[in-house]
Amino acid sequence: MKYNSIIIGGGLAGLTSAIRCAEAGLKTALISAGDSALTFASGSIDVLGIRQNNSLVQYPFEEISHLPSDHPYRKLGAAQVKQSLHFFTEQMAKAGIQMSSHGQQNHSRLTALGAIRPAWLSQPGTKALSIAAPAAGLRRVAIINIAGFRDFQPALVAAGMKKHPEFTGVEFTVADISAETIKIDARNAYELRSLEMARLLKRDLFSQPKGLTIFASAIQKAAGNADLVVLPSVLAVENGNELISQLEAHTGLPVCELATLPPSLPGMRMASALRQRYRELGGLLLEGDEVLSGYFDNNQLRSIKTRLNPSMPLEADHFVLATGSFFSRGLDSNPSSLTDKTFNLDVVETGQREQWSNERFLNGSQHGFSYFGIETSERFNPYQNGNAITNLYCAGGVLGGFNPVAEASAGGVAISTGWFAANQIIAHRSDSSGTAK
Amino acid sequence: MLNLINTSFDNCIKCTACTTRCPVAEANPDYPGPKQAGPDGERLRIKNPELYDEALKHCTNCKRCEVACPSGVHVGTVIQLAKAKHGGFKKGPREFMLSHTDLMGSLSSPAAPIVNTVTKLKPVKKLLDKTLGIDERRTLPKYTGQTFRSWFNKQSGTQEQFKRKISFFHGCFTNYNDPTVGKHLVSVLNAMNIGVSLMKKEKCCGVPLIANGFFDKARKNAELNMNQFARSLTETECVIATEPSCTMTLRDEYPEVLDVDNSDVKDRIFFAAAFIAREFARGNQPDMKPLKLRVAYHSPCHLIKAGGVIHTMELLSSIPGLEVIMLDQKCCGMSGTYGFKKENYNTSQSIGQGIFDQIEALGVDYVVTDCESCKMQVEMNTGHTVLHPLTLLAQSLT
Ligand SMILES: Cc1cc2nc3c(=O)[nH]c(=O)nc-3n(C[C@H](O)[C@H](O)[C@H](O)COP(=O)(O)OP(=O)(O)OC[C@H]3O[C@@H](n4cnc5c(N)ncnc54)[C@H](O)[C@@H]3O)c2cc1C
Ligand code: SF4
Ligand code: SF4
Repeated sequence: MKYNSIIIGGGLAGLTSAIRCAEAGLKTALISAGDSALTFASGSIDVLGIRQNNSLVQYPFEEISHLPSDHPYRKLGAAQVKQSLHFFTEQMAKAGIQMSSHGQQNHSRLTALGAIRPAWLSQPGTKALSIAAPAAGLRRVAIINIAGFRDFQPALVAAGMKKHPEFTGVEFTVADISAETIKIDARNAYELRSLEMARLLKRDLFSQPKGLTIFASAIQKAAGNADLVVLPSVLAVENGNELISQLEAHTGLPVCELATLPPSLPGMRMASALRQRYRELGGLLLEGDEVLSGYFDNNQLRSIKTRLNPSMPLEADHFVLATGSFFSRGLDSNPSSLTDKTFNLDVVETGQREQWSNERFLNGSQHGFSYFGIETSERFNPYQNGNAITNLYCAGGVLGGFNPVAEASAGGVAISTGWFAANQIIAHRSDSSGTAK
Repeated sequence: MLNLINTSFDNCIKCTACTTRCPVAEANPDYPGPKQAGPDGERLRIKNPELYDEALKHCTNCKRCEVACPSGVHVGTVIQLAKAKHGGFKKGPREFMLSHTDLMGSLSSPAAPIVNTVTKLKPVKKLLDKTLGIDERRTLPKYTGQTFRSWFNKQSGTQEQFKRKISFFHGCFTNYNDPTVGKHLVSVLNAMNIGVSLMKKEKCCGVPLIANGFFDKARKNAELNMNQFARSLTETECVIATEPSCTMTLRDEYPEVLDVDNSDVKDRIFFAAAFIAREFARGNQPDMKPLKLRVAYHSPCHLIKAGGVIHTMELLSSIPGLEVIMLDQKCCGMSGTYGFKKENYNTSQSIGQGIFDQIEALGVDYVVTDCESCKMQVEMNTGHTVLHPLTLLAQSLT
């Protein structure tokens, strides 16, 4: 069986690439070993938010030229990064989620620990605050939980926010809405995760004719005259953004949802919108199978072998490797070295094990391992024993040379490199005439 | 020998991806979901068997959790084995009836016209509901008067003319309930110059037995089948099966769940569409006439788990003129014998609702799926006729 393009890995990078290929009419297959990091991600897209000296970036695209020359963004240039994000925004809109940005500027978003993180693109339910002055216009913030729900702690959010000098003048209200008030059967609320809470709310509350009104008045009562209401993202998976805007209409208050401990409903929502879009475009999605190895010949990847169909290698003209980082098992490490588990491609120089990580995990400084990943050419072709593989492209977290967390660039790198890989494949195809489908 | 506990479930990184994809947890709040029922619970059960949670009975072994898990945890299997070990299966007469498909088939098939009429009668369905707990709202599967085997034996002579040969594991449904798919497989393969032969004997692959806790019986069947396969493979290229759940069980569940070693034949057991797609790719494709149809394709859970969707899609896309729309890859809720049980009826219907709505909204000529159990569920809940991919392929043969 032969495809025009096979994408390996179904995260943000792989899905973006696959959608772009399918939209261009290529016969495309996307193979993913399991669910991706989107299940935990905030549902906002970071492009470039933090400089090496820890200062915040206001204009991410302008900042690209200041990055080290082997950074993925430098290979693409600001114009292509921007184009890819517009493509992504358009595709999300076609799948029913209108994401928004502040023109060329970053915005701030809150986290469930009360941190303020820079991002460039957010879902409507994630209230984007100003990047330069996140507390602008806020005098009273109400942080509200559903009583007993363990994965969101309003007091913790408030304490975190108070640490930011911008929020010194702001008054915080911390409150719970009880299960009785909204008439839900939360027998064991402390056992529920965000998703289970959403299912419970759907069943007991929002499917009732008065459900929304009941919830809205509970919020009004708890929030008083706040000018921002912060809730855990537990209201709904699929139509969460719509539900929040209805709540805003009912309460007259701006409402912001925060992704909780896994699973993250805004992230799941994004993943399922992208999968749906890909399917609509006629793409083939193969979940739960894993690429084990490839057959390389003459610096080309000819076919791949998967765990479930080992005796039936899949062939394609072009491949994209978007298997993510350590977390998704795209990269693997042993005591002395680092490998890309799938094809054994060359990786960015790793140095001594002692320098791989920083002793303190969350101290804001940079861990060596974050830069690790596959080394690629200017066109994101990887190397095997020093030879570039010209029909294979790498995208997203599997790439080396950038620090997704410290720079706040994970989503943007995944989208732009995934999009770029697809563009190369499409361009190649229109060059070479008459490849049969 | 050291009795080591299998702790591979500890590869779990607690990410909850499995729970987000579990159809039962979504529809039934009494089920804690795969993470808790699987790796989390297993740790507790190892310490103290009394911590076994009755709620595990709700799991349908659909395997969606395993497909979602980024860490390769065999969540569904952990749950089935826990149920087996801790008496988590209720094995009453209903479970016996529903799971012993070959026994029920061999009893019912000879009297098919009578059985089929009787099981359609309202009072009979009421009685089955009241006495056995088989939900009266279900359409019960019909039996065929002529089993697939007896049809096959009458024409097996024609198979002798082919140089190449494969063995066909027909499974219970094709044999006793509806031989259509088996017949279509024979005509498609014959059009590709490949002959079909059957195992001297075959037993139910074990899917319904595992689902209802009859592990010993399932293991016996597995051993017999594996012997038969080995014998049959001396004369044929490979064994193929049309039913996704059978294929997954023969290949993967025998060693994993039943502890039956199939390593010497495993690589030669194929899902029918996989075998045919590979032949097509090698140029062995019969002439096909266009089918001007618009169909919606539903991918069965066990086909996704076994990695077979790619092959079915390849076959469908080889049929000229056929427009295929892929439905959301969601569970239809039937899960074999699960949906027949009275206490599961509502969960089963609620799981499938998304698929039913999507089908109704599409306005297609037919729904296509590889699984007989999905077919029953979709036909009962939408006005649509459900066809097997091989049926479409057979129709497009010139
Ligand atoms: C907790 C968390 C929070 C995050 N928050 C944000 C945020 O707020 N903003 C932002 O912009 N980004 C965020 N991210 C990052 C973002 O979601 C992605 O991790 C990142 O963009 C990388 O995406 P990816 O597609 O490269 O890889 P991944 O999302 O890691 O996906 C890789 C996929 O490849 C599959 N795979 C691996 N090996 C194989 C194989 N051999 N065969 C087949 N499939 C394979 C995996 O199963 C997985 O599905 C967050 C990430 C995490 C973990
Ligand atoms: S096998 Fe299916 S029903 Fe059972 S836990 Fe996994 S996803 Fe849920
Ligand atoms: S998906 Fe896998 S790793 Fe994640 S919680 Fe479930 S079993 Fe654990």
